[in-house]
Amino acid sequence: MGIDNVRYHGWEGELRTPWVACAAIIRVAMLQVFRRKSYWVVIGLGLLNFLLFWSIIYAVTQFDIPRDDQDKLLGAFGFSSEASGGQENGYIMFMQRQSIIVMILLAFSGSLLVGADFRFNSLPFYLSRRIDRRHYIVGKLLAVGTLVSLLTTVPALLLFLEYGMFTSSLDYWRDNWQTPVAVIAYGLVMSTVLSVLLVTLSAYLQKMAPIAITWSSLFVMLSTMSGQLSRRAADRNWHLLDPWRDIRYVGKLCFYAGKRLAGEVSQGANAYYGIFANDDEFRRSLWALLILVSVCTVAIVALVRRVRAVEIVN
Amino acid sequence: MQLVDIHHVSRSYGKFQALRDVSLSLDLGTIGLVGNNGAGKSTLLKILLGLLAPDTGGGTILGCDIRHSTSDLRGRIGYMPEAAAVVPVLKGVEFVTLAGDLYGMPHRDARRRAHEVLSYVGLGELRYRRLEEYSAGNVQRLKLAAALVHDPQLLLLDEPTNGLDPAGRIGMLRLLEDLIAETGKSVILCTHLLGDVERLCDQIVVLHQGTVLRSGTMAELRHSIAGRFELQWQGGDPTGLPAALVKEGCEVKLLGDGKAQISAPRDWHTTRFFELARAADSTLTLLRPEQEDLARMFFRVTDQAPSAGVAADPRAASASTAEGGT
Repeated sequence: MGIDNVRYHGWEGELRTPWVACAAIIRVAMLQVFRRKSYWVVIGLGLLNFLLFWSIIYAVTQFDIPRDDQDKLLGAFGFSSEASGGQENGYIMFMQRQSIIVMILLAFSGSLLVGADFRFNSLPFYLSRRIDRRHYIVGKLLAVGTLVSLLTTVPALLLFLEYGMFTSSLDYWRDNWQTPVAVIAYGLVMSTVLSVLLVTLSAYLQKMAPIAITWSSLFVMLSTMSGQLSRRAADRNWHLLDPWRDIRYVGKLCFYAGKRLAGEVSQGANAYYGIFANDDEFRRSLWALLILVSVCTVAIVALVRRVRAVEIVN
Repeated sequence: MQLVDIHHVSRSYGKFQALRDVSLSLDLGTIGLVGNNGAGKSTLLKILLGLLAPDTGGGTILGCDIRHSTSDLRGRIGYMPEAAAVVPVLKGVEFVTLAGDLYGMPHRDARRRAHEVLSYVGLGELRYRRLEEYSAGNVQRLKLAAALVHDPQLLLLDEPTNGLDPAGRIGMLRLLEDLIAETGKSVILCTHLLGDVERLCDQIVVLHQGTVLRSGTMAELRHSIAGRFELQWQGGDPTGLPAALVKEGCEVKLLGDGKAQISAPRDWHTTRFFELARAADSTLTLLRPEQEDLARMFFRVTDQAPSAGVAADPRAASASTAEGGT
């Protein structure tokens, strides 16, 4: 093949800091995921769940439904008919449901987003440019985190907007300003934990089948195991074995912190604003936070070692 | 400004010393970096790319300190890796744009440049195809485009013709020749295919067991291997002149038709040929210093047999490149 009849043109411009490359890594990761038609099945499930919550809020706020039925309907989805409070569990429930879909999506996309870089030798392509290993790792973590946020945090925030729009508007938003803050914090926890675990796992396992099997073992098998152990030993602390539940515990901590931040006063039996059932659950949440921090730290060390082991020049 | 100016660079991995006391001073131009597996080419490439700091020694590449200005350095270098190194699912133009983004170019500029360089390397019509659909030859061109996107001062090409069929190899070499001629960019070519180096490079660095055996222009290195001549003569006794040359300490290989290949002893002066021819009643019709090709020179300076890992023949090289480097 000959050369096209064009001349070489130079380029004059300033190169920016390598950190901006993280945005490119995120953009490319989104392209890779959203271009795969099979992933749209899973993303579609997420959209359906979102539409379900959206419709419930819409129906309750727009149609003339008797108060009792309204309470039942909203209660089934964790919301309360009191617009000025008691909404947190609804957002927690929504994000928890969405996270199931995220788990499935991540199980299949890990090999494409990260595993392929190791399997098909794409890593030298990244690391021989101006970025180094730090930028690559942060970029990939942000890419997976963005995917998680797009399916959990962003729709949860949209639901908050919707609830306010269809009820008392500014009053709802003003009275519950801590809710979106807590949603974002919970989303950050979920994004961080899931991205660290997925990127590390994918860097080591690389192929889709082993990643999907290990990923599901991590989140399904451990969950089942912790449930069994908890029942047999009659000790709820075994629930801490379940990373999924740990994430939810820390999510609850975020909403609790939001309430405290807002200066709301809560006394007696409702000392935890209805977010935690009792002292034990609150303590377990703190343990869950410690466990997640420890697991993520170990995973990051392992990830750095894996990336460092890749030779850029063979 | 010099392209490479490094002094007393050493680097070891544990007990294995990959580079020992390497000093190189190279002018802008096209440089071939050759050596057997384990010679230290990869380590030197990593240092040139700013990916690895030397244990001792220092210096500059394109004026950038090899210890401290690694990010700036990579901004001035376009590296074309040996591995396929493509990102699945992307289209050609997206891949090259990503390369520009990773160099830190503004996204819009990266996108525009991606179109330009893809057209330049001959992939203009394939730029919207997914990378999975590219042939091996086109992947090599794509990697070259990705290395060119930020208009670097130096191109570092690692086995650019590796895995290509003869037509693809010739096409790639022609493209590189045109690029060098048109842009005047400096190129460091690291390859096992000495034919490629001979065709593209005006300077050469021979690495062996972590040290620089030879470095200089092709002409300089070829000059240093003189002492071999091709001789043709007419008249007189056909065996007279060869016999006289042998008597004088030359090695003579008769080629027929009054032609011979001569290896002269040290301090041999060419006028001696004429004196001996006159004495044998013969007339010299050809006296030409023999030009060693790069492969022969390489094997002579590394004192190794041709099967040791570097190949003059591309088919042989494809086998040797499968082995790892240091």
